[in-house]
Amino acid sequence: MESPTLPPDVRLEVSQCFQSLTLSAPKQDAIRALQVLRSYLDETPENVNASVQKAEFRRSHFTRVLQFLVKNIQADWFHGLTAAQRSELWDGLFLWGPPEQTLLVLMEGISELRPGSNLDHLVSITEKFVQSGRLAALLWSYCLTTTGPVDSPQLREALLARIVALPDITANKLQHNNKPAFLPQQYYPLLAKEMLTALDRTCRALKDGTSCSLTFVAQTLGKLCAQGHGGLLLAVMTPKMSACTRTDMVWQRVCWKLLENVPQRWMESVLVGLVQAVHGPGALGRIMGNLVLKNKTAQFVITHKLLLLQYKYETRTLRVVLDYLAADKDRRPLLIQVLRCLCQAWANPSAVKHTPLEQQLYVSKALLLAVGLLEDAELQELRSELLQCMLGGMQSHLDSNVLRIRHMGMVVGECLSSRMNINGTKLKFEYEQDEETRDLVSLLTPSKMSESEPECDDGVSPPEESRENPPVCNGSSQNEREMASSKKEPGSDLDSDDEFTPYDMSGDQELKKASPPRYLRDCLENLISSEDPECVELSLRVAEGLVRKNVFATKEISVQLSKVLLHMEDKYSINGFRGLRQAAMVALVVSDAIPVTEFLNTEFYSLNYSLCQRLDILEVLAVAAQELSKPNPGNANPIVTTDQSPSSAEDTATCRQVVEKRIQAKTKRISQGASQPPAKATANRYAPVAGYFFFPLLRNYDKPQVTFDLLGSDHLVLGRLIHTLGIFMHLAVNAPVAAQMGRALLDFVWVVRYHADQIVRRSVVFAVCSVFMSMPTSNLLVDLADQIFETRSWLADVAEDDVDADCRSLAMQSLVLLDKSLKKQLQSPQALSIES
Amino acid sequence: MSRPAPSPVYTLRGASGAFNALHFSCHEGDTPLLFSGSGKGVIHLWNLNNRRAERIIEGHSGSSVIWVNTLHSADTLISQGRDMRVCLWNLSQGRSELMDSLSTESVGFCQCSLLETGEKTCLLAFAGQQTEELKIIELSSKALLCSLIPDSKLGMVMCVKLWQPQSGRGPLLLAGYEDGSLLLWDITQRSILSKTKVHLEPVMCLTFDPESLRGISASSENKLFSWILDGQNNLLLRDCVTLTNPGVSQLSIRGDGKLLASAGWDHRVRVFGWKKLRPLAVLQYHRDMVLSVAFSDHKDPRQRLLAAGSKDQRISLWSIYNEVPDTG
Repeated sequence: MESPTLPPDVRLEVSQCFQSLTLSAPKQDAIRALQVLRSYLDETPENVNASVQKAEFRRSHFTRVLQFLVKNIQADWFHGLTAAQRSELWDGLFLWGPPEQTLLVLMEGISELRPGSNLDHLVSITEKFVQSGRLAALLWSYCLTTTGPVDSPQLREALLARIVALPDITANKLQHNNKPAFLPQQYYPLLAKEMLTALDRTCRALKDGTSCSLTFVAQTLGKLCAQGHGGLLLAVMTPKMSACTRTDMVWQRVCWKLLENVPQRWMESVLVGLVQAVHGPGALGRIMGNLVLKNKTAQFVITHKLLLLQYKYETRTLRVVLDYLAADKDRRPLLIQVLRCLCQAWANPSAVKHTPLEQQLYVSKALLLAVGLLEDAELQELRSELLQCMLGGMQSHLDSNVLRIRHMGMVVGECLSSRMNINGTKLKFEYEQDEETRDLVSLLTPSKMSESEPECDDGVSPPEESRENPPVCNGSSQNEREMASSKKEPGSDLDSDDEFTPYDMSGDQELKKASPPRYLRDCLENLISSEDPECVELSLRVAEGLVRKNVFATKEISVQLSKVLLHMEDKYSINGFRGLRQAAMVALVVSDAIPVTEFLNTEFYSLNYSLCQRLDILEVLAVAAQELSKPNPGNANPIVTTDQSPSSAEDTATCRQVVEKRIQAKTKRISQGASQPPAKATANRYAPVAGYFFFPLLRNYDKPQVTFDLLGSDHLVLGRLIHTLGIFMHLAVNAPVAAQMGRALLDFVWVVRYHADQIVRRSVVFAVCSVFMSMPTSNLLVDLADQIFETRSWLADVAEDDVDADCRSLAMQSLVLLDKSLKKQLQSPQALSIES
Repeated sequence: MSRPAPSPVYTLRGASGAFNALHFSCHEGDTPLLFSGSGKGVIHLWNLNNRRAERIIEGHSGSSVIWVNTLHSADTLISQGRDMRVCLWNLSQGRSELMDSLSTESVGFCQCSLLETGEKTCLLAFAGQQTEELKIIELSSKALLCSLIPDSKLGMVMCVKLWQPQSGRGPLLLAGYEDGSLLLWDITQRSILSKTKVHLEPVMCLTFDPESLRGISASSENKLFSWILDGQNNLLLRDCVTLTNPGVSQLSIRGDGKLLASAGWDHRVRVFGWKKLRPLAVLQYHRDMVLSVAFSDHKDPRQRLLAAGSKDQRISLWSIYNEVPDTG
């Protein structure tokens, strides 16, 4: 290490000191030796010879001295030092020497020493080191290109690792005795401040004409961000940087240079942290400059990765990124390019099908933001592409089975068309406005807030507050007014009608001219041939009641009436038409299950039905099955008596009743168990007919027809079909036929388990779930032995990889169910064998 | 949780005709009676104890009876028919003989209004021969007190109400006309005190509560309008109640001024609190228009009844809001 030209006395003196500092050295010698060593670090100007010697000491001997001191820390003389001597001589050597060497030695010492007072001392020195700004000195020393410390890539690497990992090293060693200053929440903000200090010094040096290098600071920044400390770090750095760059050109240059010097591999994490921490696009522009144009990685991250590949960022971040791209005319072409990519991504039919909904929402937001930023001239230029994107993308969105995706398509379509202004025409969809759609629409208008926000760094923007306040005031004053008026009202008329409690007046309906049919056949007649809207409505309203009232009459014409109802259209826009029709059809299925289900099941696969009718069939069957599987309420129906008799003979009786009622009302029952009679067992009406509901629907599904292709484009119906089958399966729990149904259902869904549509996948998982729930556990292993393990691995696959969150959670659930029942099954055979 | 809709206590049937008019006579000691006038010209006396028709009087030669009332206790019955006659019947000691009759010369539907001013003197107001004419006679002497004809064309008189203000001045008369206006006449001055246009359609019925100086009227619309008389005897519109179905044939206020009942064309009787016109109950039983409604004048509030006569040839009797308010 040492060069031959150096005067030899430095080395001699150092080795003499070492000798006098050995373990058994007398205290006086040790102090003198320490004083000699300490004097090498004094900065007082002396003759040239002395300063050369000092430089020599700092460069070649300092590390050795420190290492020696740490090694001999348990020496007698060390413990004999007074506190003042120790802090002046011993600690001073650590705190005033070259910081990079000190840090390395300290870290090494901390990781090697065993816990004890010596380690504590070293830790306290490190704490002082960190807190007394030595890190800034360290960073700054590497900024100076000419007079910097000895430099080598290995040294830098080691140093970087120590700086970044200081909290980890101390935490590992000290465990619960760690100092608060070394906790990440304190250390990294402190480090951020030190880096800012270094940058500030750099600025001043540049103004003085000294040239500096920011490579080391940039590397530190990069490494810190890459290790996930970007949030803490940049939360401190960006406000200051944003404030300084507003007025100071040199600061701007320094910031640009800093980011340019971040190594490629860490660029992404720095940029991601930066765009999230920064307050507005203006600040981002000042800090980053045109980095996106110069640096390929930066460009990729900003224009591609943040917008198209990742989707976890807030809308604010998106806005910052896109506004940043739009703010400068050099960067403007990038915005156009980004917009093109976004268009493609949004309109891509495969993306609509295969990417998670959240990502699609993210892309939609980005697209709307980007379109909102376009100027009219650019809009003209991009018109044809936008139009194509809009039309294609809307089609694929509207084709989707997921309501939110359809809404997204509608909103984006509306916004794009209104922005493009095609011959003054606009698209207009009917959809229910919710928070999400309103959010999306609001994105198109460039917000004023984001421009005003970076100006005030406190994060509180007064205009917003003043906008918020008035409505709140209004609301409260309105409330007060309402309260006042409501207070006034009772005062005006104290002895009011309130002494009378009103009777139920729900029967007070509009009077109908026609009277409802009394007999089911009349009802059927009306539904078939009547042209009078009122008559049809009345017939439809009473249909359910009539069907349920006279089961024998119903059985004669049940199929015919089902046919009529199935084909019925809402010609007169009757209030609650769908519900009434469905209720009547459900009543038919319940009253006369076998023929009507047979009819409906054959119709489901026959020609010339609309998808809506087919869905209705499924829904009716599902609701009817549900009703059948519930205990029949018809048997145990107490006759409700209305007690309105005024005759005075019963007065005492009613009095007692009233008293009793009051007592009942006031009495609190702690245990409710005994007061209710146990539920009466009734025969399950669904179990004997479950097969009629279930099996016919499994037929014919793979025979495409002209108007109906279950395995092709009509996946909505397929999804509903599987879901309905799942419901049948679920309701058939404890029915003898459940085992066969379960096997058939598993066979059926096996074909479509990797269907492209998430609705279908969801219902497949649901169906599988219901199989596991309803099938007797004893049958599960015996009958389905071969399938069950394939199903299990498939479920695990879905639970891990599926795009749709619902699918994943459902798959998780059914896995749990399956495991539970398998475990039960595997334990029970032993019990059985013991019994037998 | 509101109570379920009430059902009638009992119903009276057997008459072959619509019940146009009802009148209770339930004095202490006597058998409680309900008089009804039917569309076939028959007056029934219903005994409310055994719920049967005690006597049947056929007096208007088959023409519809549109109004019945009793004079000086229940001994004298007065009835008005579409044969343009008002008849007085002696009912004392089981008789039912025609005492007297007079001709109104009016072809309209307007029901008379009776006001007992003294021991033996009664005033009777009824529509006269001319279109807008109103006549008031002293009943015992049949002397015409006055004939009131407004200056403007208002159409036929549809309903009248004669009442004695508590301020002590002469009796006043409220009359509803075909064009929907209401007039307040001073009989002694023979002048109009106030006039207001209440309805768009002819006023079908009105009733007035002299205690609170409030009245209410209805027409074939689906609205009830209540109005008030201020200190200067001006009619002022006050509230409006909208009904589900249009058309009201009669309104009646209970004796204690707490309930109002309306006989609706929609087969329903509606009960309101009279103070604020809060809807309280909708009585559903009849299968045709309800034509008349009356509250009984039982002394014991718990026995009070509400009767409704309908075109479906039935009278339904209801017992609602008869609870005596708790004093403890």
